[in-house]
Amino acid sequence: MNRIDLGSPLGVAMALLPEILLSTWALIVLLVVSWRHETAQDSRLAGWLSLAGLLVSGAGLAALWVTGATPEGLPQMVALDPFRYGASALALLAAAGTVLISLGYLEREGLLAPEYYPLVLLATAGMMFLAGAEDLIVLFLGLEVMSVAVYVLAGYNRADPFSSEAALKYFLIGAFASGFLLYGIALVYGTTGTTNLSIIGAQLSGRPIPLMAALGLGLLLIGMGFKISAVPFHMWAPDVYDGSPTPISGLMATGVKAAAFAALVRVLLEAFPSAIGLWQPIVAGLAIASMAAGNLVALAQQSLKRMLAYSSIAHAGYMLVAVWTGTHAGAGAVLLYLLAYGLTTLASFGLLTALGRGGEREVTYDDIAGLASPRPAIAFGLSVCMLSLLGFPFTVGFIGKWYIISATVAEGQMILPVILVVTSVLSAGYYLPVIMAMYMRPAPGPDHHAAVGLSPTAAAAIALSVAAVLLFGLWPGGLLDLAGTSARTLTQTGLPLAGP
Amino acid sequence: MTEFLDSIGYGQWILHALVLLPLLGVVPVLLGPESSAKWTALTVTTLELVLSAGLWWALDPSRGTLQLVSTTPWIPTWGISYRVGLDGISLVMVLLTTLMLPISVLGSWRSITKQERGFYAMMLTLLTGLVGVFLALDLFVFYIFFEVMLIPMYFIIGVWGGTNRLYAAIKFFIYTMAGSLLMLVAIVALVWRIQVVTGLTSFSYDHVLQHAGAAGPLAPWLFAAFALAFAIKVPIFPFHTWLPDAHVEAPTAGSVLLAAVMLKIGTYGFLRFAVPFFPQVALSPAVSRIVVVLAVIGIIYGALVAMVQPDIKKLVAYSSVSHLGFVMLGIWAGTLQSVQGSLMVMISHGFSTGALFLLIGMIYERRHTRLIADYGGIARVVPLFSLIFTVVALSSIGLPGLNGFVGEFLVLLGSFAAFPLATVLATTGVIFAAAYLLWALQRMIYNRLDNPENERLTDLNGRELAIMAPLLAGIVWLGLYPAPVLRRMEPAAQRYIQLTRPSHEAAPVAVTGSAARVRP
Repeated sequence: MNRIDLGSPLGVAMALLPEILLSTWALIVLLVVSWRHETAQDSRLAGWLSLAGLLVSGAGLAALWVTGATPEGLPQMVALDPFRYGASALALLAAAGTVLISLGYLEREGLLAPEYYPLVLLATAGMMFLAGAEDLIVLFLGLEVMSVAVYVLAGYNRADPFSSEAALKYFLIGAFASGFLLYGIALVYGTTGTTNLSIIGAQLSGRPIPLMAALGLGLLLIGMGFKISAVPFHMWAPDVYDGSPTPISGLMATGVKAAAFAALVRVLLEAFPSAIGLWQPIVAGLAIASMAAGNLVALAQQSLKRMLAYSSIAHAGYMLVAVWTGTHAGAGAVLLYLLAYGLTTLASFGLLTALGRGGEREVTYDDIAGLASPRPAIAFGLSVCMLSLLGFPFTVGFIGKWYIISATVAEGQMILPVILVVTSVLSAGYYLPVIMAMYMRPAPGPDHHAAVGLSPTAAAAIALSVAAVLLFGLWPGGLLDLAGTSARTLTQTGLPLAGP
Repeated sequence: MTEFLDSIGYGQWILHALVLLPLLGVVPVLLGPESSAKWTALTVTTLELVLSAGLWWALDPSRGTLQLVSTTPWIPTWGISYRVGLDGISLVMVLLTTLMLPISVLGSWRSITKQERGFYAMMLTLLTGLVGVFLALDLFVFYIFFEVMLIPMYFIIGVWGGTNRLYAAIKFFIYTMAGSLLMLVAIVALVWRIQVVTGLTSFSYDHVLQHAGAAGPLAPWLFAAFALAFAIKVPIFPFHTWLPDAHVEAPTAGSVLLAAVMLKIGTYGFLRFAVPFFPQVALSPAVSRIVVVLAVIGIIYGALVAMVQPDIKKLVAYSSVSHLGFVMLGIWAGTLQSVQGSLMVMISHGFSTGALFLLIGMIYERRHTRLIADYGGIARVVPLFSLIFTVVALSSIGLPGLNGFVGEFLVLLGSFAAFPLATVLATTGVIFAAAYLLWALQRMIYNRLDNPENERLTDLNGRELAIMAPLLAGIVWLGLYPAPVLRRMEPAAQRYIQLTRPSHEAAPVAVTGSAARVRP
């Protein structure tokens, strides 16, 4: 057990080791690319450097995790518990996958401005702050660092008006959401006189929640709702996912979502356990709306990228069901599902880059018809991803759904799981046609799939993800224990709290 | 035989081998050349059949409990282990499965010409799923097998099926999945309730069965979820609409396996899980009435719709709805005779309908039409085919002396006391069966040979006769001397009755009374 005193500068540096390493590394890469930003080679150099940075940061994270770092006394500003480490690891994994997929993609699309990679690193650092925030101010800072970097990345393809549209839309909506969040923080601070999550929880426990704090909680939920793209705060998501460069869509669907969910769980469980009666119905409503709307609208999509965008809304709904429980099991289910969904979605977006050109906006179900015989590996990978998103046994997606259902049923709640599975059946209506098109329909022309291909790095990243999807689907035991124990530490670091 | 099996430790490894062998067989099928795929598949499925045959002796027929049980921890955190075992009911279902597989492989010999490796890999994966579903004794494992076999069947229909295959494949998939996902919630909820009462999280079948009463007020809902999953699979009357599409569009092997084995998973699920878990709900007057009414509607409706089909494959598909109605009736009547009868119908429907689909596949390969009207008088051109077709059709009708008779007779006999009116109505199903099949026979095989295209048909060749021989042997054997099969199923059937009877006094009378009559 490694106790860290968060009062001393050295302790803070220790506690923030992964974030500090990553941010510093990002600045170094930025420095390097300011000299070398001309050729494809420079872009590749920046990519590999960034990957090394992610590894270094991951090593720092591992050091904290393995030594079991816990705070001396009250956690201030930043949490030191396995829940943070797990969520940060997810962000790092998502970033690493994104970098690997981007290496070939940027060259192919002629997006040779290597500032791309430092921005990915900075976004990741923001995600890690967001996921580890023990204080509403840190939470807000993390959110902004992450979002600003992602706004730029969304509009990275300047030649493409849709990419610019995505950036602008994401920026405007994001700023709007930040406003809500900040207002919520102000109201909570006004009631409790603190922004520390554990102290807020202690302040609010044992008495009916004051109106101002309730309003603050509501505004916080709205702000977070935008970031996790829960219905009805999802309007931006399809257009932004659609217009952004595909690896960035993958990063938004996995890393950004993982960080935002981790923060949401932490805020609800640490700061507002006593208001569970207030936020549970709201979260349930968001979950039901997201599952229903996401799945129904995804059914109507022709473009695969838009389909994945809407399906990501539906998956946010599934995870909200786990958030609804307000228990450690639910938090563990969120973590596990984030991993399951992250692995699968990154691989899906990665495979999407293989299928099309120019932002992949045009790749429809018809375009992938008959892909299986000329490109069996890509077809197989995409099929596994679709089955995992569908929640089919022997994939990690099934384990994730099973965990959510168990956690919810253990609270005596049957309606949410039933809605979850019924809407999952709907999702078969758009995931299966992908498999159907690839395997069961003839190709539109003889050389239709000649251009389909992946760079070696992207292929490696995707192959690893797909293998992990299958392996964790078959032997989920270790992963379940990890998610379960990580989640159990969630409120133990703080003050002894009343609550569930 | 038993000594020999013991000497090789048969009981310890056989169940795992049966599940794993086909899966391992997928590797040489996929890696080998296209032309050898069917040979590899035939070898693997035949080996599986030979291996599984030992189960006939390995199972102690005097006990109704689950035997050869073997447990390997899988996900200890959630109380899930890979647990397999079998009793008399699973025994016959496994043997039916392993017999049907080599036959289906042989039946696809000529008809599958594209992507053979993929096809036979799917067949072997399907075999793993089917065997696993009948052996699984852990609800999680059962659920996984129940779901996983959708994928190979989805591909078999969707890639190698008829013209409307895409629609049929997705309909089949979504229907089955809709039911099974609700069952998933029910499984989790049931285990959670039991955990609350006993403090132990375990998906083990025995544990759940023993404490299923813990479901309390949730029981009706949980039963409904289980029942829906199995009712779609059977299929019971209003949930049957996927069946004609899937059966007709699937290639011959797919239709054979769907009819002969996969439909039985539904009825097996009722016998093994849904009814024993929740007997008070399942056998309550209200639910009984609903099930019996639906079963009778299925029997009569299936038969009537079959009668008007112009397509012989669709006719046989609808006849399945009718036959499976008998099974449901027998399960709910809950006497030894009726349950034994249901099991017999499950087996003999597998033989007869499997054989019918194979025969239809054979004639389709020659003539490329399944419309009854395109044939007529072919008995003169293809006498062997016509003879075998007639025998199989008669067995499906339930002619005494052939297999179909035994099961349906036992069901009707055993159900009369419990549901007199329903039984009388169900009996008309037998008459309708005679009507639709004999009429089809007459139009296809007898009548006048008035279509010149039929004059060039060739009769069955050696391979096709080899396919039909074991099925015909089974049809005659089960019809004349069903006692060995009945004897092996009887203890398991009795155990089912005991598990579902609220009071144990009434049971022995019916059991001894009927047992004497069942044995010849």
